[in-house]
Amino acid sequence: MKVLLIEDNVELASSISEFLAREGYICEVSYNIRDAQDRLVSFQYDCVLLDIMLPDGNGLDILSFMRMERIQSSTLILSAKNSLDDKVIGLEEGADDYLTKPFHLPELHARLRAIYRRKKLNGSNIIAFNEISLDIDTLEARVNGILLDMTRKEFDLLLYFIVNKNRVLSRQSIAAHLWGDYTDNLANFDFVYQHVKNIRKKISAANGTDYIGTVYGLGYKFNTSKQ
Amino acid sequence: MKLVDRFTLWFLGVTLLIIPINSFITYMSIKSEIDKAAVERLKHVNQRVAQVLNKGEEPGEYTQGCRIKVVPVTETKPADYYEITDRDVTHDPDLKDNDRKITVTSWHTIHQQHYKITSGDYVTRSEQILAGLRISIVSKLIILIALVVLTARLASRIVLAPFYSTLKKLQHFNLKAKKRLTLRATKTKEFSELNTYVSKMTDKAVDDYISLKEFAENASHELQTPLAIIRSKLELLSESDIRGEQAVLISDMQNSVDKLTHINRSLVLLSRLENNEYEALEEVSLSKYTKDAMGSFADLITLKGLHLEYKIAGDVDVKLHSALVDILLNNLISNAIRHNIPNGRIEVTLDRDCLRITNTGLPPTGNPEEMFQRFKKGTQCNHSAGIGLSIVKQICDANSFKIRYQFASGLHMVTIAFTAGHNSSKLLQNDERSLHEKIQL
Repeated sequence: MKVLLIEDNVELASSISEFLAREGYICEVSYNIRDAQDRLVSFQYDCVLLDIMLPDGNGLDILSFMRMERIQSSTLILSAKNSLDDKVIGLEEGADDYLTKPFHLPELHARLRAIYRRKKLNGSNIIAFNEISLDIDTLEARVNGILLDMTRKEFDLLLYFIVNKNRVLSRQSIAAHLWGDYTDNLANFDFVYQHVKNIRKKISAANGTDYIGTVYGLGYKFNTSKQ
Repeated sequence: MKLVDRFTLWFLGVTLLIIPINSFITYMSIKSEIDKAAVERLKHVNQRVAQVLNKGEEPGEYTQGCRIKVVPVTETKPADYYEITDRDVTHDPDLKDNDRKITVTSWHTIHQQHYKITSGDYVTRSEQILAGLRISIVSKLIILIALVVLTARLASRIVLAPFYSTLKKLQHFNLKAKKRLTLRATKTKEFSELNTYVSKMTDKAVDDYISLKEFAENASHELQTPLAIIRSKLELLSESDIRGEQAVLISDMQNSVDKLTHINRSLVLLSRLENNEYEALEEVSLSKYTKDAMGSFADLITLKGLHLEYKIAGDVDVKLHSALVDILLNNLISNAIRHNIPNGRIEVTLDRDCLRITNTGLPPTGNPEEMFQRFKKGTQCNHSAGIGLSIVKQICDANSFKIRYQFASGLHMVTIAFTAGHNSSKLLQNDERSLHEKIQL
């Protein structure tokens, strides 16, 4: 997947592009609107990551530019300004999703995947890894064809793990993914622990491999090398 | 007591003090003028009598309407020596009234013969002067008091109009509206000074408030990007080849960044709420949102071994921004979960009038009044920044909901009452009505 990152902060841009590169994305970076517009008309991208506050203007202008130029790439807005107006305008202008800084990189990856999935309309909405398969539409998780009795949160978490497989997922990132930004630090990591424990139990009960492991001190990891 | 009443009383007091003094002076001066005139006339009479005697004629008993008496005497007194007496005489016993008689005696030498000439006349008595004065004073007082009382209110309404206008403007002054006061110009020096100072003060307050707001907003926004950098770098670092103790360090840093992020986001949200950026445009179904929230928290509640009961009426619609509904419910319910005891209970009741969330828990250590203040924590809980209830309160304030917290017999209860009607958040909203009544003239 080819991604154009429009972000004026060099440090943040390098983090994001490094992370995405490890996921196998091809990530190009523009630090301002003019350069971004040049790239957008010259190359084709699957997705555009767009910062709103840019040195030479408002990132939202890129959205109208893309519409005018009939550029079909998906867009994900990254904003430091978690203003609702920006979100509404951004989504109205055709952005696919909106992420507020500071975000967790695995969260960005999960959102990108989700956008990408939605874009491929004819593609199936089933995400599968070895014996595990998740149906995004019906929220059904199956292991070896056996339907697991999972709650919504557990399903979300398992999906988050599979999308970010072989990555360390911090408890903070999992908590933010499951409960959003505004809950007053529900991060109470017991809950994360309990959820992970339940998922592992349910997968094991269906004779699935226990891919999810604990990374000492940091969090959890969906380990594909486990057999 | 009203200003106008104070002035009226003061004025009446001064009047009451002045009138007796004034009457006494009037009485004395009238009396002395009358006496002086009478004495002068009688002296003149004596002179005339002396002239008559000089011509060798015999003066009659009355000269110029005054009774005179001429007595030859042996010794004389200087020409300018007059003996003046006045006494009350009863002229006619039937009249039962005294007259005052003034007599003037002078000594004259005519044709080597010394004469003592005495003339006398009746003058107005002091009682008569007093009686006349009394009538004039009383009528003067009555007219004065009546006019003062009747016109004071009217006059104060006209004279104090700029003052009342300033007072009213101040009452309606709302710092959060960020609008400067425009006060009515006046020619009265004191009021114009008052207006100058009031404008100066409120303008300064407004300016400070705006710059404070801007600072808080800018600071929060500027913090987001560095936080994003730290967080992303930590995530990249945690994926690199690290040892166990390094992992713990990274994890601690992640926790702190998380907390910082959360506080920052909450502060931005609070300042947005204060700026009324989330204006409720349409009614949302609170019933549906509450049910959804119950669903999404069901896991957590079960995980923590809590018992949840809820009774949600199906048709509760409130005017609230949809983004705020989630924040409100999430904060309240997560609080109820966090500050609970093992095997505790959570009860959620929603009906047309209010939303009530009750949960078991330890008694609050702080003052319940301070529960809604920022960074005040009821119980020591390190996972919380202590800003959740403050956000809830701000949401309620911005939408004219009434929030109340109670603790009784081991139960924390937060009640949000939805009051229909006006949607304003004035600084002096509560005092306004009573104040307004008081300054009505």
